[in-house]
Amino acid sequence: MRNRKALFLTLILPLVLSVAVDVYAAPANKAVTLWFHGGTAEETAAMKSQIERFNASQKNFKVEMTEIPGGAVAGSGYNDSVNAAAVAGKLPDILDLDGPNLYNYAWAGFLRDLTNLAGADLKADLLPSLIAQGTYKGKLYAIGQYDSGLSLAGRRSMLKKAGVRIPKGVKDAWTMAEFKDALSKLKASGQTEYVIDLKMNYGAGEWLTYAFSPILWGFGGDLIDRKTWKTADGVLNGPEAVAAMKFFQGLFAQKLANLTPADDNDFVNGKTALGFCGHWMTTPYYKAFGDDFTLIPMPNWGKKAVTGMGSWAWAISTQSKNPDGAWAFFKFMLQPDEILAITNINGAVPGRISALNKTDLYKAGGRLAVFSDQLKTGVAVPRPATPAYPAVTSAFYTAADSIAKGADVKTELDTAVDKIDKDIKNNNGYPEK
Amino acid sequence: MGLPGMTVLVMFVAVPLLLGLGWSFTNKRLISPLPTQWVGMRNYTSILSLRTIRIDPVRDAQGGIMREEDGRPRYPKVRELVKGDPALEDYGEWFRVKRGDGYSVWLSKDPSFMNALLNTIRFVIVIVPCQGGLALLLALLVNRRLRGTDALRTIFFAPVVTSMAVVAVVWIFLLNPSQGIVNYFLSWISAGALRDIPWLPDRRYAHVAIYIVSIWQSAGFQMIIFLAGLQSIPEQLYESAHIDGAGPWQLFSRVTFPLLRNTTIFVVISTTILAFRVFTQIDIMTKGGPQESTSSLIYYVVQQGFRQQHIGYASAVTVVFFLFVLLVSGIQKALLRSSGEEE
Repeated sequence: MRNRKALFLTLILPLVLSVAVDVYAAPANKAVTLWFHGGTAEETAAMKSQIERFNASQKNFKVEMTEIPGGAVAGSGYNDSVNAAAVAGKLPDILDLDGPNLYNYAWAGFLRDLTNLAGADLKADLLPSLIAQGTYKGKLYAIGQYDSGLSLAGRRSMLKKAGVRIPKGVKDAWTMAEFKDALSKLKASGQTEYVIDLKMNYGAGEWLTYAFSPILWGFGGDLIDRKTWKTADGVLNGPEAVAAMKFFQGLFAQKLANLTPADDNDFVNGKTALGFCGHWMTTPYYKAFGDDFTLIPMPNWGKKAVTGMGSWAWAISTQSKNPDGAWAFFKFMLQPDEILAITNINGAVPGRISALNKTDLYKAGGRLAVFSDQLKTGVAVPRPATPAYPAVTSAFYTAADSIAKGADVKTELDTAVDKIDKDIKNNNGYPEK
Repeated sequence: MGLPGMTVLVMFVAVPLLLGLGWSFTNKRLISPLPTQWVGMRNYTSILSLRTIRIDPVRDAQGGIMREEDGRPRYPKVRELVKGDPALEDYGEWFRVKRGDGYSVWLSKDPSFMNALLNTIRFVIVIVPCQGGLALLLALLVNRRLRGTDALRTIFFAPVVTSMAVVAVVWIFLLNPSQGIVNYFLSWISAGALRDIPWLPDRRYAHVAIYIVSIWQSAGFQMIIFLAGLQSIPEQLYESAHIDGAGPWQLFSRVTFPLLRNTTIFVVISTTILAFRVFTQIDIMTKGGPQESTSSLIYYVVQQGFRQQHIGYASAVTVVFFLFVLLVSGIQKALLRSSGEEE
């Protein structure tokens, strides 16, 4: 009997005490709510430990993370949640937004202007591409810890066997003719079932815009007229854009690319010798092949070499009741070491020059140098900075999905143009308040 | 006494319905600093406007038909005709039918809505008899008092308690053209004649894949309802029919089916309404594609309202949808009632 009581006390007492401590501690820690899109398991774990370090580092604020899935792949789940919360006035203090979606939220007045909070020192140290991506109408609304890298992945041994030149860097990237030649040589060499992995397993979503609208620009087309921002007519369905998307369609028609990969692993499983490679795939690819895996800069598509950029970036909502706490967390997570804690896991390009210089991966000759070179030399181009972006991207990825599956290119692009123009018209041309 | 129930009904059914009805006459957007404006019937005319134009081959000065590079006759581009004619403002091509030398082209102010509507109707027409029929067959099978029927009943019902989102993701893998088990099996039983069917990327098969997944997931639900109906039929009726010399088919057509009449009516009406709501499997498996061949009305509403942020327009679509479902179930009810009175 006595033993039982002792057992009871040893079990219950700590519980009671911990609750009491929590209650006692609560007023000092002002809660800062944070929404995070569902990244990979490793990214989420790194994010969690970052938040724990912040909470332990000071006593004034306590960041509480909610993970909302559906952001990364073909995702609308995360955006649906953010939209709904914005309408209901339930936005968290801090949220992360995928690249170009932030223009719509900034235009609608849901994001706090960070221009003055971020001092000159920080701005000078941030990657110019990050500032470009986070800025709408001259004001800075979001800051990412990293920018994305997108280039081609290749297997040195296979390229060598097929007699294909491996570019040393961004400066000697393949020309369009060389790229086509590489594709047919690799096909003829018969080493793999397909030649290039285009990650079509991501489905009809942002991936298609992020990865393949750069081909449009490289051919001389675009998603929207970036002079007036009022129409996509003649740009997205002009002869250059049609040629670009016919090339894209041809990759599937000629069985160079797999329209229906079962998962992320076609390149790892040896089904292709090349692949479109976002930074998040570099770690698994390196694990699988070591130094046989190499990044190859995006080719010159005709007019110019272009690739996608922009990634998830952090913003503070105007509905936030604790912007000081939010900004304190921004300062914490933008420290070079905290940035590296994330990028060492997901392979993205660190967002500050000082962080970039702390790692050898992105220096000349480094394994991921292609990513940082593409960002520094203007090969990576941001997606259009317009509040119409949600309409633009959904029109484009729907068209690109049908085009990949064999639909008539001109008809699909015309349809996309009509959808975009209708949206702009319905919003009175997205006037500024 | 009915107060709690009424409160819930008013809050979650009546209020949203009326709000939606109100918004359907505005250009309300999801998140936007622009003020919401009254637009009258504009959303409805945009949804429902249809007209046809005729196009004939382009002829040269001598009256000969001009041809494309591939030898087909050249036709004027419908998009340019529409842009050049103020009376056709906002119209786009929906589909075309061959008429003599030329085509009769159907124009709509919202071809995507029209595609979603037709796909949904087609879905209901396929699903209601197929799913209901399969459910009845399964119920008859499970109702026999043989060993192992309990296990079968559990197996048939298992998909119903599985979330459609999970089912859809699993079926994406099963339907993978080169690595999926469905094609593997088809190729095996056909000795290699059926190979690598592109289930989801091809518009000829994508809607069929959606039918298969939908029926597989929900037939177990109707099976249970039929099973309840079957078990309420008194055993004596079968015994006396048996003594009268009725065979198995007569037992089914003269005893079982007539006595399942009310169950069947319930299954038909509820399956119809459920089928009209098809969304999850489309959102996950095909995103309405390719070329809108699998989009449905609810998918279109979510696409318009949340992803494109046109809440006013999406509300108008839901009002049209509501009236349409009301009409269909009204007709169904009237038909089923009158067929009952004849007996």
